[in-house]
Amino acid sequence: MRSVLAIAEAELRRFLADRSNIFFVFIFPLVLVAVLGASFGGDSASARVAVVGGESALRSAVVTQLERADAEVTITGDDDMRQRVARGGADVGVLVPEEAARAFDAGQGPELEMVTGSQSNAQAAAQVVRTAAAAATLRSGQERALQAAATSAGVDGDIDRALDRAGTSIRPAETQVRDTSGLAQELGGLGQFDLGASSQVLLFTFLTTLSGAAALIQARRDGVVRRVMAGPVTSVQTILGLGLGRLTIALFQGAYIVLASRLLFGVDWGNLPAALGLLLVFGLVAAGVSMVIGVVADNEGLATGLAVGGGLVLAALGGCMMPLEFFPDSLRPVAFLTPHAWGYEGFAEIQRHGGTLLDILPQLGVLAGMAVLWLALGSYLLRRSLARAM
Amino acid sequence: MPTTVGTEAQNADARGGSATGSVEPVLVAEGLVRSFGSLRAVDGVSLRILPGETFGLLGPNGAGKTTVISMIAGLLQPDEGTVTVAGVPMGRSSVEAKGHIGLVPQDLAIYPELSARDNLQFFGKLQGMHGRPLRDRVAEVLDLVGLGDRAKEQSKKFSGGMKRRLNIGIGLLHQPDLLILDEPTVGVDPQSRNAILESVEALSGEGMAVLYTTHYMEEAERLCDRILILDSGQAQAEGTRDELIELTGDADRVHLSGSGDLAAAEGAVAGIPAVASVHRDPHALDLTVRGAPTAIALIVNAATGAGMKLSNVEIRRPDLESVFLHLTGKALRD
Ligand SMILES: Nc1ncnc2c1ncn2[C@@H]1O[C@H](COP(=O)(O)OP(=O)(O)O)[C@@H](O)[C@H]1O
Ligand SMILES: [Mg+2]
Repeated sequence: MRSVLAIAEAELRRFLADRSNIFFVFIFPLVLVAVLGASFGGDSASARVAVVGGESALRSAVVTQLERADAEVTITGDDDMRQRVARGGADVGVLVPEEAARAFDAGQGPELEMVTGSQSNAQAAAQVVRTAAAAATLRSGQERALQAAATSAGVDGDIDRALDRAGTSIRPAETQVRDTSGLAQELGGLGQFDLGASSQVLLFTFLTTLSGAAALIQARRDGVVRRVMAGPVTSVQTILGLGLGRLTIALFQGAYIVLASRLLFGVDWGNLPAALGLLLVFGLVAAGVSMVIGVVADNEGLATGLAVGGGLVLAALGGCMMPLEFFPDSLRPVAFLTPHAWGYEGFAEIQRHGGTLLDILPQLGVLAGMAVLWLALGSYLLRRSLARAM
Repeated sequence: MPTTVGTEAQNADARGGSATGSVEPVLVAEGLVRSFGSLRAVDGVSLRILPGETFGLLGPNGAGKTTVISMIAGLLQPDEGTVTVAGVPMGRSSVEAKGHIGLVPQDLAIYPELSARDNLQFFGKLQGMHGRPLRDRVAEVLDLVGLGDRAKEQSKKFSGGMKRRLNIGIGLLHQPDLLILDEPTVGVDPQSRNAILESVEALSGEGMAVLYTTHYMEEAERLCDRILILDSGQAQAEGTRDELIELTGDADRVHLSGSGDLAAAEGAVAGIPAVASVHRDPHALDLTVRGAPTAIALIVNAATGAGMKLSNVEIRRPDLESVFLHLTGKALRD
């Protein structure tokens, strides 16, 4: 065991000693998380909101609050609103149904409907609408309470009762904004940087681990692996050590992004054991693929090419560049051939729906299966090449 | 068949100490054979090394030295033959036997990204060393190979000679019973080369057995207690330097360089009784001659008489080069 750990440790040290890794491993992923976060939900453009519904106190209250929040408001019909949202002419559509208007007039909590678009700032716009709607009802509640207090005071002069009434009339006035578009509901539980961070964790963990294949080739070519085998070490231990080395690099990269994005951007990684468990099996797949490349490619240039090309293509296919939810249906089966898509789904479950280890068992299972396949292939090839090299 | 020479006592010891029963050989290799395709790279090589002995494997490039060593170190499966190290049989998975060996490969086998110290630490851990004893031993070896003041630098920044010395340091870190050095001075500047030779001398002084391969006969002469001459995968002779030189019949070497009819000159000098062998190059004849100082006049006359124009004549006392020539009819540095 000690030799296995020594080999793995040496692999990690070599990885960290390579200065050219510093930018790509430590800086670049965070830059991407920041850039994606900014486009996903920055406060850059003002929200464009299309409002539907007949003239009512609720509608004007909501519009007033939206305009106060710098939103660009258009009042329009139902069909037009849906078209605008679909084509990007509006970020969010708000429906003010008649029952809601009546409930509002009656001092009860009205329920609004919202349709969000797929543009990057739709989430921010939706948040503006929620806040505006809440503000509108709170404001009317306050007015009503004051009115009630004044009336009571005027009628029988009983201040205590008036205040009591005021208290009761404020409380129930709460607006519900029901999000009726599936995508917005799906992404709704996410913070600004969360989606970008989980995508980048998958992309970089895989990419960095694959790039480590070049170091394996170098060690084989330079005869270091041969020399290791000349020591009191079995070939199984050597292979375990080299495989564990790849895994250590994967986990190192993954854990770094998780931690740094949490500290710098406040990314919510949800249930930590689940997130780390997912990262572990995903890292095992990456380690296996890296071993295979490290044996199959016979020079470092080819290995690096395969690693970068493969790492980027798989990430794109697996939803790490464009969210899986935006994929056309025809592409989805292909996406789920990549480990990334399963990782993406796992993180979606954890980050958006508060999933735990139990909830992501299917994803863990599939990834574990992929890991076994790739690690077995990598070990077999490495063992064969060690025997041949000797 | 290899010519084996040596004192009776020594040979008895080498066969398992049956005569005195005192000294167990560190290494016993018997009848090693290994082919690559149709090439018989090693063809029946046997050797024994006693504790504290420096054993030389001398042969030109391609003779099969590295292949022999790879089989001894358990990196290559012999087609035939056995290897026993410190009494333990060697195989590809024989961890115990491998623990007795320190291998210094012909090509640098170090991690270039790691410092000299980290390289040593890593290979020390593989040998089962750890903690303070490992740290102390690493510091000791760094001083021994003269890298104490550069210990923290990435080894890829080292000169060729420094890398070689680190390469050797790794091999002797765990104080193996048998240190195997495969052509450690190839491509090294003269200063580093001398440092390497000195440290090998120091090691054998400490009682470590050393198996040293080289194609430089001066190194074999300087370092080795016993030498096996290898050519085309076959052992040509084995013994101490003096024993090997006796094989030439204590002949001197005469080197005639010049132009003209060298073929006729070759025939003419070969007819002289004192001349034991003749080897012809395009511009020179290499002879082994018994009693060269007295025969030289005859030889020169015969060569010039046959039409050779001499530009230079050299007489050399016999050395391993002449042994090799005598045994194989070839120069060592072909
Ligand atoms: N792995 C191999 N595959 C094929 N031929 C080999 C291999 N290793 C060595 N040889 C051949 O075996 C012969 C002996 O090689 P080697 O042991 O390296 O000689 P030396 O170390 O004395 O220079 C050479 O002809 C070499 O080309
Ligand atoms: Mg060699």
